[in-house]
Amino acid sequence: MPREAMIDEWYPVGLFSQLDQTGRRTALMGEPIDVALGADGKAKVTDGNGRALPVTVRYGHVWSSLGEPGKDLFAIPEADQPGRRLVDVGVVRVRCSPLRAVENFLDIAHFPFVHTDILGAEPHTEVQNYKVEIREDEDEVWATQVQFYQPQAAKSASGGITTEYMYRVPAPTCSILYKTCPPRPGEWDVITLFVQPLAEDLCDVWPWMALYDDETPMTDLIHFQQMIFLQDRSILENQIPALLPLDPGMEIPTRADQTSVAYRRWLKRHNYTYGAQLVAQ
Amino acid sequence: MLSDLMDSWIPVALSQDLPAATVMPVLAPAGPLALWRSRSGRATASADRCPHRGMRLSHGFVRGEALSCIYHGWSYSQAGTCLRIPAHPGLAPPETIRVATHPVAEAGGIIWVAVGEPAAEPPRLDGLVPLRSLTAEAELSTIEAAAGATAGPDGLVWQAPNAPAVRLLLVPQRAGETLIHVLVPDGCATSERIAASRAVESLRRTAEERQRKGSRHAA
Repeated sequence: MPREAMIDEWYPVGLFSQLDQTGRRTALMGEPIDVALGADGKAKVTDGNGRALPVTVRYGHVWSSLGEPGKDLFAIPEADQPGRRLVDVGVVRVRCSPLRAVENFLDIAHFPFVHTDILGAEPHTEVQNYKVEIREDEDEVWATQVQFYQPQAAKSASGGITTEYMYRVPAPTCSILYKTCPPRPGEWDVITLFVQPLAEDLCDVWPWMALYDDETPMTDLIHFQQMIFLQDRSILENQIPALLPLDPGMEIPTRADQTSVAYRRWLKRHNYTYGAQLVAQ
Repeated sequence: MLSDLMDSWIPVALSQDLPAATVMPVLAPAGPLALWRSRSGRATASADRCPHRGMRLSHGFVRGEALSCIYHGWSYSQAGTCLRIPAHPGLAPPETIRVATHPVAEAGGIIWVAVGEPAAEPPRLDGLVPLRSLTAEAELSTIEAAAGATAGPDGLVWQAPNAPAVRLLLVPQRAGETLIHVLVPDGCATSERIAASRAVESLRRTAEERQRKGSRHAA
């Protein structure tokens, strides 16, 4: 079973702010689940047989698992810093592997072509060397010193700047991006990608942000991020094969793809293969 | 008809539907292809998959004499070799990075793609000019039955009611789907071309209706 090694992970299953007592029917790794607000005001998640599933509420979202999570949900210490605006972006359903959705999030080389004149623009296409590591203590993939020229790096940005990024993968279908914060040099904006695996080739993507931005209306912040993810969707639904190939040979990475290479290696090492293709076909 | 031949030419599109500096997806027996025309006018059929991250090249863009992938801008020559990787502008892409290409012949306003190694040129359809293409949700044999005629190597001759005799080139697509190229006699008046176009649309509806009834019976 490809989902075996990933079954005890926490996955996002909805926005806490959107819950009501009627509940919401959704799915997790092929199993139908219900997410609802209990009479006690707490989130409740049940599977198709009415069995109560583990629940935690964090970063605006309800998290659950089909298995028995052995540890707490990963920490994002920055999320608790005072002065940040927490943005529930909502959901984008994408007909692709949850792992492909994460890999695309880790990629900067596509900015000039997919997010043209927003996150990138020709002729500024070069990806400078950056550092990638699998941090053994935390068991996370990290990419640091990632730099890219961006015409409009954020809703709050006016004019092009060279943005610095750090990427973190703390769970197989989640990633956190730390990004230069235009109004507050020295701090990092936090943009996350929480992916709910509905099936191996279907996912709900829940972006979430913790930003230093007191000016931009909430609606504009949400629209900006949704526009970016809709542009990504046009790519993600047209990759062949739909599943992420973990074995070499099917796809050709370059130096710019170091983060993706490390992510794939880390997935393979842990047998995180739900949404992956193991043998080149 | 055409798909039964091991080494043959498949009419994948009409020349008029592929302007310079554009790309379109087509389906050939070899699989999905990105059919594109360079700025100077040359048509190329490339495998519809960028080897970097598997993105469909038919979503890409044409600049000059190259096709670029929309995902990361990797560009490919008419021979299929990778010309440029924008993330590494100083790097000459290794020879091993390439997409498969298939021979293309363009004649009489039709773009043909080779399957295998056809010994001869594509069929000459003298005296005919392309009118339009359309896709029917029907098997090739159902369209033949609806037209009351059988397709040969040069297509199917159909005497449409109240329209000039048209030539149909039928190309199987996905299961239950057929691409139809419509050709009319050269020199047809506009009114005759319109009549032929409508007649073929009516033929499509008839074939699709037969197909639906047939699959209901089968079910």
